[in-house]
Amino acid sequence: MSVLGSKKSKASSEVPTSSMADIAFLLLIFFLVTTTFPKDKGLAIVLPEPGEEAQVSQKNIIHLLIQSSGIVTVKRGESQQEQQMRPQEIEGLWRQEVTSNPNLIAAVKTHPDAPYKFMVDVLDALHSANAERISLQVLEN
Amino acid sequence: MAIKGGGFEKSSKASSEIPSSSMADIAFLLLIFFMVTTVFQRDRDRPIEWAEAESAQKIDEKQKNILNIWLEREGGVYINDQPHTMEQATTIVAPLYAASERALVISVRGDREVPYRYMDQLQTALVNAGVVRVVFATQLEQSMQRERR
Repeated sequence: MSVLGSKKSKASSEVPTSSMADIAFLLLIFFLVTTTFPKDKGLAIVLPEPGEEAQVSQKNIIHLLIQSSGIVTVKRGESQQEQQMRPQEIEGLWRQEVTSNPNLIAAVKTHPDAPYKFMVDVLDALHSANAERISLQVLEN
Repeated sequence: MAIKGGGFEKSSKASSEIPSSSMADIAFLLLIFFMVTTVFQRDRDRPIEWAEAESAQKIDEKQKNILNIWLEREGGVYINDQPHTMEQATTIVAPLYAASERALVISVRGDREVPYRYMDQLQTALVNAGVVRVVFATQLEQSMQRERR
């Protein structure tokens, strides 16, 4: 019995290291899997080439004039009629307009003092409505 | 020398297993290697308030082909962590754009309150530099937030 007793105490005197590898690999795989590189999100737009100016007939343009207060004034190409709306309402307007004229171009004209976020709101609404032909300009008095 | 079992058993038993005691060291080495070499963001974040957009999409381009331009509330322009004036933007971006063989995507990170005049000046500078692909970097807006607004 004395031999058996000494064996037992010897077995528990060390920390078991055989599972250490499993723990380390588990951590390794956990960190490999959970590491995500943050990808930037944003609203993509294609700028015109320098010197490129396209002539567009007025009836294909819808003017979106962003005032410094964030109110958007909508003017359809030829008519003098104006309509005021919030940036969120542009999406519905665009969907409505584009069904009657597929060649429509949105000319977003922002007041120089208007915060950037209002332009982003309008651009966001146009992107949501799948508008592709967008022109960004600054509003001149 | 007449040992029970033939005498060979002991020596062959010692080499029958792959030594696993160093496995933990290897695993920890790999773990630490990957932790040290993981780089999260190349340039420091500037203190800006992000604009929010619902239809924001991920920029589908390699990280090395994205050039971040920060536009601060007072009109300060930062390209590659260096402060620049608006007039310098064209001369800085144009060679970078040529070096990337026209694959460069400009990520414009504007403060949400920055007056649009600065954004327009920056756009003009980018057009003059010949840049075509521009992304207005925003944070994703949840539709729940939008409804509450």
